[in-house]
Amino acid sequence: MPDAINDFDTLRICAWVFSNCGCPAEAAQAYRAMLDRRPDWSEGYRHLSGMLATAGRIDDAVAAALRAVEIAPHDGEYACHAGLLLLEAGRGRAALLCLDHAVRLQPGSARALGALAAAFAMLGRGAEAAAAARRSIAAQPQGVQEAADAAEILMRCGRPAEAADLLRKLAQTESGAAPRLWRLLSAAEMLLGEYDAALAAIGHALAAAPNEAEYHLHRGHLFWRLGDTEGAAAAFGRSAALLPDSAEPRRVQMGLYLAAGLVREATAVGGELLHRFPDDRVSAEAVLHLLDRRLETIDGDYVVLGEAAARMPRPPLPPPAFGDRLRAQCRVIGALVVRETRTRFADARLGYGWALLEPILHISLLSATFAVLMHGKPPIGTHFFLFYYTGLIPYHVFVHSSSGMSHAITGNAPLLQLPPVTSFDVIAARGLLEVMTDVVVAAILLAGFGAIGVAQMPDDLWTSAMALLATAALGCGLGYVNAVVTVFFRSWEKAFNHLNRVFYFISGIFYVPGIMPEWVRNALAWNPLLHSVDWFRAGFFASYRPHWLDRPYLVGVAVLALLCGFAVERLLRRRLSLPL
Amino acid sequence: MIALDRVAKSYATPAGRRVVLAEATVDFPAGHNFGILGANGAGKSTLIRLLAGSELPDRGAIRRRARVSFPLGFGGTFHGALSGRENVAFIARIYGAAVRPTIRFVEEFAELGEYFRMPFETYSSGMRARLAFAACLAIDFDVYLVDEVTEIGDEHFRRKCALAFRERLRRSDIILATHNSHTIRQYCDRGAILAGGRLQVFDDLAEAFSHYRRMLGTAA
Repeated sequence: MPDAINDFDTLRICAWVFSNCGCPAEAAQAYRAMLDRRPDWSEGYRHLSGMLATAGRIDDAVAAALRAVEIAPHDGEYACHAGLLLLEAGRGRAALLCLDHAVRLQPGSARALGALAAAFAMLGRGAEAAAAARRSIAAQPQGVQEAADAAEILMRCGRPAEAADLLRKLAQTESGAAPRLWRLLSAAEMLLGEYDAALAAIGHALAAAPNEAEYHLHRGHLFWRLGDTEGAAAAFGRSAALLPDSAEPRRVQMGLYLAAGLVREATAVGGELLHRFPDDRVSAEAVLHLLDRRLETIDGDYVVLGEAAARMPRPPLPPPAFGDRLRAQCRVIGALVVRETRTRFADARLGYGWALLEPILHISLLSATFAVLMHGKPPIGTHFFLFYYTGLIPYHVFVHSSSGMSHAITGNAPLLQLPPVTSFDVIAARGLLEVMTDVVVAAILLAGFGAIGVAQMPDDLWTSAMALLATAALGCGLGYVNAVVTVFFRSWEKAFNHLNRVFYFISGIFYVPGIMPEWVRNALAWNPLLHSVDWFRAGFFASYRPHWLDRPYLVGVAVLALLCGFAVERLLRRRLSLPL
Repeated sequence: MIALDRVAKSYATPAGRRVVLAEATVDFPAGHNFGILGANGAGKSTLIRLLAGSELPDRGAIRRRARVSFPLGFGGTFHGALSGRENVAFIARIYGAAVRPTIRFVEEFAELGEYFRMPFETYSSGMRARLAFAACLAIDFDVYLVDEVTEIGDEHFRRKCALAFRERLRRSDIILATHNSHTIRQYCDRGAILAGGRLQVFDDLAEAFSHYRRMLGTAA
């Protein structure tokens, strides 16, 4: 720039030529020379500032712009320009002052309002930024560029819904809208969690600008969020191919593989990263992180874990209400019963046939023997089958439940390792199954007898049912005791079986206590099972009215046995669940 | 959240009484994965079983405000005469999980083919382990308890297990007892040390490790 040129107009032409030939530095020099001559020329400072900014000398440009504002404080455009430069220089507070001034001078300028919004956003004042952005849009409803800027600011201020609304409208009106618009819309949709819409939007953006690496990168992130690892990897790969000098796409791709647990792929990308960008510190750290997480895992395989921080703790379960606990316990006992039905006769070929066959054989044998001994007339009723049936069924309900429950704990020890299953449950399930089996067997036998014409319905079904219920309670009570005792004395069941054999003879199964001498009967009446049988029989034969039958005694003993059994189980529960 | 309130546990051994926990009062808050460190024989397995509820403490109470799994891969509850399917249905019923979806998950996951409908006693040990692992994963527990991880199946199945487990850990917590510090580092963000009847919980895994190292140092 020759100093010889002193003429103002010549300088002005030079500046114009320089600025239009892409030589902003020289143009700036020309303006400076002119300003030496006319120091109060505000327009000159404005031009100088513009040239300096174009030349990349932001600080000088800011100084010149501020000088122009100083000279002409009422020019809105100058204030706006200075504000924009201050924004660019990162001086948010000064920019805000300047732009606020500019907006006051030009309240209808979308550019000034947009810049003001940006200044607010830079200072983190989201609400005011959003308000300014909205005003900017209102000031120039047709301006696509301004609207896009405003939308971006809205998004940054945490108002993605508004931004998305605005962008959707713009995208509709502008056919073949600018790819930047679609890119912004995609970001807004993503912030809103509408990943599919976001994917569609970025698809539009890529249709208009297929070689924009950043768009591919964004698309990859969307695929990632949607759980489409393959799609995400492909998009990141595309981005990496378009931007061979940037490590970022590859780094993101590696993170994706790492998060998806595809350690082999992640390692491959990591190797490529190290090879191509050996000096990139961030990449090196990322690869190191990968190797750190690639430790030996739970089953010896190399697998990686996602970051633990990504997980929210679950809310604690409320303490279960009584009803819930009862329901859970019923569920457990039900499951145990189903399981027992499958395993009870698992090793017998006949399965449940046995449960039916045993009493049939038993009753037939008794009938055959005593038919001969007693000259063809049973003590009560008309047929031996029914008489022995009424003796045997209560006895079986008692014996099957009480001794069947003996091995409930020892036979199900592994199940007690499941926290929801307690020793109470396994004993109860076994008892329930035994009683139910016997009741079903009793019903089938009775139906069978009816079919061959040797029996009819009991005269009082209710009485018989109550008798069985009391007997079942007695059997289950003893069963609880047996189950607990068996844990500590394994041979207890053998002793108990001997006891049962004694019961067989003293419970009036194949005789009526009425035929006994009174002192014998009085002794036998201490046996609760005798009452069971007589109670059951009294229901079958209306004519049978044993005066020694003491129902409250049986019920009392049964309740006592149940309470005893529950108490023993509860008191020793801690020792019952020890691994055997 | 699992809270131990003055829990005491000891058991008799031929060499005298062995104390696992002496009046331990400790919280395992939800949202964290705990690794339990301890020498062999310190009672890590017993602790896991106490947390699971498989074993009851001698004194004190353990409160669980979460659905806690049985120890991962524990197949001792499977009945030999029942098919894999029936055994899984039982587990699902016990834990109040929907039976059909659970069965479907296990059938697909364990890849037992027609064996799934055959008695459990006909299974090879690998198949048993696969069924046990799948059954545990099939139920949506809040806390998974893992006691000394073992290898299961071929590489394909191991990979599948680890991925499925990782998926579960997005929502559930894990309490892991092992002497393999790599495994703990990988899965856990907090640590606990079980030694000499004392259970110490650390908010930071690194702290737990350095403490444990110091303990080993003084012991040696």
